[in-house]
Amino acid sequence: MDTDSGRDLISDLPQSIIETILIKLPLLDAVRTSVLSRKWRYKWATITELVFNDTCLIPCQDKAIISCNLVNFITRCLFLHDGPIHKFELNTSYSPTSPDLDQWLLFLSRKDIKELIIDIGEDDWFRAPSCLFFCPKLTHLVLVRCELNPPPNFKGFLSLKHLSLQQVIIPPHDIEGLISSCPLLESLTLSYFDSLELTIRAPNLKYLNLEGEFKDIRLENTPHLIGISVAMYMTDDIAEHFEQSSGCNFDKFLGCVPRLERLIGHIYFTKYLSIGNEQGSFPVMYQNLKFIELYQVSFEDMKELLVVLRLIVSSPNLEELQISSSSITTTTDIYDLDFWEKDWPADCTFGKLKIVQMSDFSGLPHEIAFIKFLLGHSPVLEQMIVAPTIYVTDKVVKMLIDLLTFRRASPLATVKFVQEPL
Amino acid sequence: MSGGPMAIVKPEMKSYIWLQTADGSIQQVEQEVAMYCPVICREVAQNSTGSSKNNAVVLPERVNAAVLGLILDFCRFHQVAGRSNKERKIFDEKYIRLDTQKLCELASAADSLQLKPVVDLTSRALARVIEGKTPEEIRETFHLPDDLTEEEKLEPLRNMTDDPRIRLLNRLYAKKRKELNERKKLKNVEVEEQQVVDERSVDDLLSFINGGDGDSKGVRETKNKKKTRGRKEQARNNSSNNEAGNCNKESSCLASGCLNSDISDMSSLSRNSKLQNSASATFPSKLDFDDFDMDDELDPVMQEKIDREVEDFARRLNCDWPEILSLAPERRLGPISMNGNGSLKRCTAGVDRG
Repeated sequence: MDTDSGRDLISDLPQSIIETILIKLPLLDAVRTSVLSRKWRYKWATITELVFNDTCLIPCQDKAIISCNLVNFITRCLFLHDGPIHKFELNTSYSPTSPDLDQWLLFLSRKDIKELIIDIGEDDWFRAPSCLFFCPKLTHLVLVRCELNPPPNFKGFLSLKHLSLQQVIIPPHDIEGLISSCPLLESLTLSYFDSLELTIRAPNLKYLNLEGEFKDIRLENTPHLIGISVAMYMTDDIAEHFEQSSGCNFDKFLGCVPRLERLIGHIYFTKYLSIGNEQGSFPVMYQNLKFIELYQVSFEDMKELLVVLRLIVSSPNLEELQISSSSITTTTDIYDLDFWEKDWPADCTFGKLKIVQMSDFSGLPHEIAFIKFLLGHSPVLEQMIVAPTIYVTDKVVKMLIDLLTFRRASPLATVKFVQEPL
Repeated sequence: MSGGPMAIVKPEMKSYIWLQTADGSIQQVEQEVAMYCPVICREVAQNSTGSSKNNAVVLPERVNAAVLGLILDFCRFHQVAGRSNKERKIFDEKYIRLDTQKLCELASAADSLQLKPVVDLTSRALARVIEGKTPEEIRETFHLPDDLTEEEKLEPLRNMTDDPRIRLLNRLYAKKRKELNERKKLKNVEVEEQQVVDERSVDDLLSFINGGDGDSKGVRETKNKKKTRGRKEQARNNSSNNEAGNCNKESSCLASGCLNSDISDMSSLSRNSKLQNSASATFPSKLDFDDFDMDDELDPVMQEKIDREVEDFARRLNCDWPEILSLAPERRLGPISMNGNGSLKRCTAGVDRG
């Protein structure tokens, strides 16, 4: 018999390659390799990443049975697994009951778990057991719809680099403690917190991602922050709070982030920053800030406009600017267009600004003045892209003509009108 | 557009690295291409090999000439700095459109050369090959032996026998099993010996005469002996029939590699059998190269002791492990297992030890 043509191609590859292959398979397929041959019986049992998601579900009519099968599958996998588990991800719309989940987490806490991602259920919250807080090697933690109650003797996740909490219920004073007790934290994502006042002290933090309703955010000790993305929602409560608050939000938030490279703000972010902002004072320069994206900026609110201007004037190395306007129009206001001539310093130049994108452009006087201002003070500008909002179709031609006549400081600048994708 | 002058690459200025593959072929490759590979880079840097044909970088065993060509294609494309990510992705997608065998060889070679991007690409491609297939289809694609018994396939998966207690227990069982094994072999070999002894002696003499330097020959013999033993074990593993007949052993051994015409192997076999016959007491040391690392001598007293130990152990462990223990690469003997009340039973489950 010619043994070569029948020679086993794969079983004798180094275990590291086999594990790489098995990790790239859906877990169900990986576990199924145990019936292939004698050598393959336990090859799957030493993989260090376990990802349970909808690919592990065996289709069935009865949801309860699917849920039960999933729980059994996870339990059996964990029980049969051998060696450390570095990554465990559970991503399903089914909600395993509390005893199961607690036991799995207890098991994982003994297995050198490094990456833990739990996103279960659709409408219910699970309560994180205390063993979660004693996973010393944890570097990556993502929790969705979870109730967190750090125990009193919790000293922090000393290896944690990435923390993402979405729709997590945690006592307000504990969240700050949690963040500051993770000395190596580099990336923080907080989504959908309620009316939060937050002071962030994270000496190694590089990326901050906030989404939700916040009353007050302070970045107190974040010297290495490189990227910030904030989506701020507003309720009446918070609006009232804004009116009464003192102190400059701009300074509190962006006061000590000298290394900032990218800033993204959504919804009410510029409004938030405008509270307490005094015109004319630029104490901090952002030497590394290259990309600014601000969405839903109201060009009818002078204060918001001032925030935008303050940002771009404090960023001498700004390269790309994207602004979209909010389309609330309260047309009864008188626009103080003299502002552009009188109050604003005319000698600022944006020496590195190359690309500007204006979206949802509706031809408001200040919008037009802003574009004129940018065109006139950006000597290396290459592209000015304007995308009008869908609501102002009749004025488009006039606006286009106006824009094209503005003086351009950059010989290379092109002004483009693009149709917004509907 | 920059106005600078175009750089002119003079072919004669390029330097080359000499590489030698496992199958002996030596080729020269442009330096920047070869250095993209970490292992080659290290060899050149630390050991200054590769500068000439005589001093070629010896590549690891798993890299033959054909697969080296593939690896170098990858290096040649990716070491160029100016390529966009999109270009690289497109190249990668085309690059791994290979048949399964080539993918496996490429993965193995890339791993030995520590070229991680290729390992990742091939692993992903192999995962795609495996995904969604039934076990039969996978076995066919990769030529995997279907060597689990029906029972094993139906059994729920067991926990790994990495528990040190289990390992100890396994060792005790293995000792016992081995000793039973030897007794069987002794019987067989005697029969074998009688049948074969005539031819053997002549061949033996011949090999001695032809040998010349006794030492190296002796060493080689030992090595052959080891190989033969290994093959014999292997043959026992693979054969599904359960007869302990010597001819079975003989033929399976022959089938698995030592051909009829290979005299030295035959003579080593005879040497083996002679030794087996004469020195039962010294057996264990000769058998050391098995995968069990036993160094105890087995004699009846010891054997009893082992039996007692095993029973004791079992009772101490006191759990219901009907077929959980991994034993017998050879199914013929039937591994020994226990039920809860400590008495020994035989069953036919076998688990991969390796």
